[in-house]
Amino acid sequence: MRKNIRPLAHKGFTGKRKRLSLGQVVLMAFMLLLSLTMIVPVLNILARSLSDPDLSPGMGGLRIIPAGFDLINFKLVFSNKYIMPTLRNSIYITVVGTALNIFLTTSAAYALIQPKLLFKKTIMTFLIIMMLFDPGIIPEYMVMGKRQLNLIGSQWSIILVYAVNVYYLIIMMRYFQEVPAELYEAARMDGAGHLTVLFRVVFPLAKAGIATITMFYAVVRWNEYFKASIYLTKASQTTLQVILRQFVVLGDTTALVGMSNMMSYNELAQIDYSALKAATIIVAIVPILILYPLVLRFYTRDVIAGSVKG
Amino acid sequence: MQNRGSRLTRNIKQLRRDWVLYALLLPTIAFFVIFRVLPILNMRLAFFDYSARKAWSWAGLKYFEIIFSSPLMGQIVVNTLVISCMKYILLFPFFAIFAILLSEIRVGILRKFTQVVSYLPHFLSWVVIAGIWISFLARDGAVNEIRGLFNAQAIDYMTDKGSIRWVLFFSEGWRSLGWDSIIYFTAILNISPALYEAAEIDGAGRFFIVLHIVIPALITPMVTMFILNLGFFLNAGFDQVLNFTNAAINSRIEILDTYIYSIGIGSGQYSLATAVGLLKGFIGVALVLATHFTSKRLTGTGVW
Repeated sequence: MRKNIRPLAHKGFTGKRKRLSLGQVVLMAFMLLLSLTMIVPVLNILARSLSDPDLSPGMGGLRIIPAGFDLINFKLVFSNKYIMPTLRNSIYITVVGTALNIFLTTSAAYALIQPKLLFKKTIMTFLIIMMLFDPGIIPEYMVMGKRQLNLIGSQWSIILVYAVNVYYLIIMMRYFQEVPAELYEAARMDGAGHLTVLFRVVFPLAKAGIATITMFYAVVRWNEYFKASIYLTKASQTTLQVILRQFVVLGDTTALVGMSNMMSYNELAQIDYSALKAATIIVAIVPILILYPLVLRFYTRDVIAGSVKG
Repeated sequence: MQNRGSRLTRNIKQLRRDWVLYALLLPTIAFFVIFRVLPILNMRLAFFDYSARKAWSWAGLKYFEIIFSSPLMGQIVVNTLVISCMKYILLFPFFAIFAILLSEIRVGILRKFTQVVSYLPHFLSWVVIAGIWISFLARDGAVNEIRGLFNAQAIDYMTDKGSIRWVLFFSEGWRSLGWDSIIYFTAILNISPALYEAAEIDGAGRFFIVLHIVIPALITPMVTMFILNLGFFLNAGFDQVLNFTNAAINSRIEILDTYIYSIGIGSGQYSLATAVGLLKGFIGVALVLATHFTSKRLTGTGVW
């Protein structure tokens, strides 16, 4: 699909000057420093989580190499009676939710790009109004409540409430429109139904687009904590981000550590809470780090390669 | 009449032939009707007293009177507007500046490194970001460690009333600088190489090129983004504030959305919370419409 790849606009300049000017050196030093402010806090958290609990309390905020090495923080996190079930819940909600997102988004996008669809303009206007006007949390809470849908206390509340994102739907439509119209026509001429065209023609040709949107949805799902904290009332149903918030942001350490009977009193006393928090944060980041290369590969590849679609 | 009739039959014929398309759309439409239209209908609660069992009883404008006579409201509106201004006006130009600086880096590997690193925070949840920043700004965190090098006193930024809005400003920048600069970086990549070549033949320096070629190319996307942001002016970043707030500094950063959350979910004043939400919604829609028509008059293109 990418025909007119152009070299970075500055290429004309690069070949000529071999030596970097002073301005370039200053600029690069500045940008390197700026990048470090973005990555060092994350690496510091990682280093803290892997450190020996005896040494980690004295660690500075700039240190990115663990002080000693011990996996005790992760052992504690994974033996905790809240973390593992919520981790499973998060994975379940992310997988099922994202599958629902993609099912609805691809089917709606396919219908909405058909030139012959009736009321197309009305439907698009409706969707855009739905995107712009957010009724807020209380009226939605009422819908979820006993008198209306009765979904509070069920994981379906979270799975369903984020079922379609109009913004991603519009992006999906753009990806689908990149599939040459002749291919649709040809398939339709051969007597293929819409579903066949969707699965056999559109899906294979818009793979990269679908992968991108899948990942965006998955990230939103994984990071969601707010509605989960409202609608998932039982601790056994809730997600990792909710527990993480309780522990790291609200500082409720007893809930997390007090219950852990894996450790003797002596060992418990030696725990460095900030290192334990760091380990919990790392557990919540890892899935994002797994998906991140896909973002780089599918969504920002052209930007990073210094070329855009012409 | 005859013409209209034949159009109708044509439409019906089309519906019957392409019914699969409408079946594909149906779940999405149903979703929005259930999870958006029903809540919008529930917004009538702003004019009613809530009851869990019985029907809601009419309350008229009672809750709006409470809002307008509340001394708290003024502070919350001010907080919302100040934080929005910091994000959407003060922080806003830095995304374009970052894109320009990025495009000026001549060493490919460093440019890529900066991109890969700066896009990442956008994908972290605000819970995780708050966790990282609390550690980053703590007394033994990186910022105070650097202050220590200059013999400056350590500051507890997370509980310091004077700093907390800047904490919001910088953490928002930290999260968005890379990702939100992509649109401007793309605009720079789209500049025709012929323009650069012509400028170089004329002996133009980098500074001249940035000033006369790069910046003009960024004006259009900047105006578009600015207009889009105005629609979110009353939002100010709910997820961020909810995770960065604490008792010591809440009065400085309580915004409309966190207030709605705390009086609604926190203390169960559903009608009052809905009334605040309704007012906010209306002002938000008015802002979007106003910017749409202003922009249409000024530039010829609106928001949609």
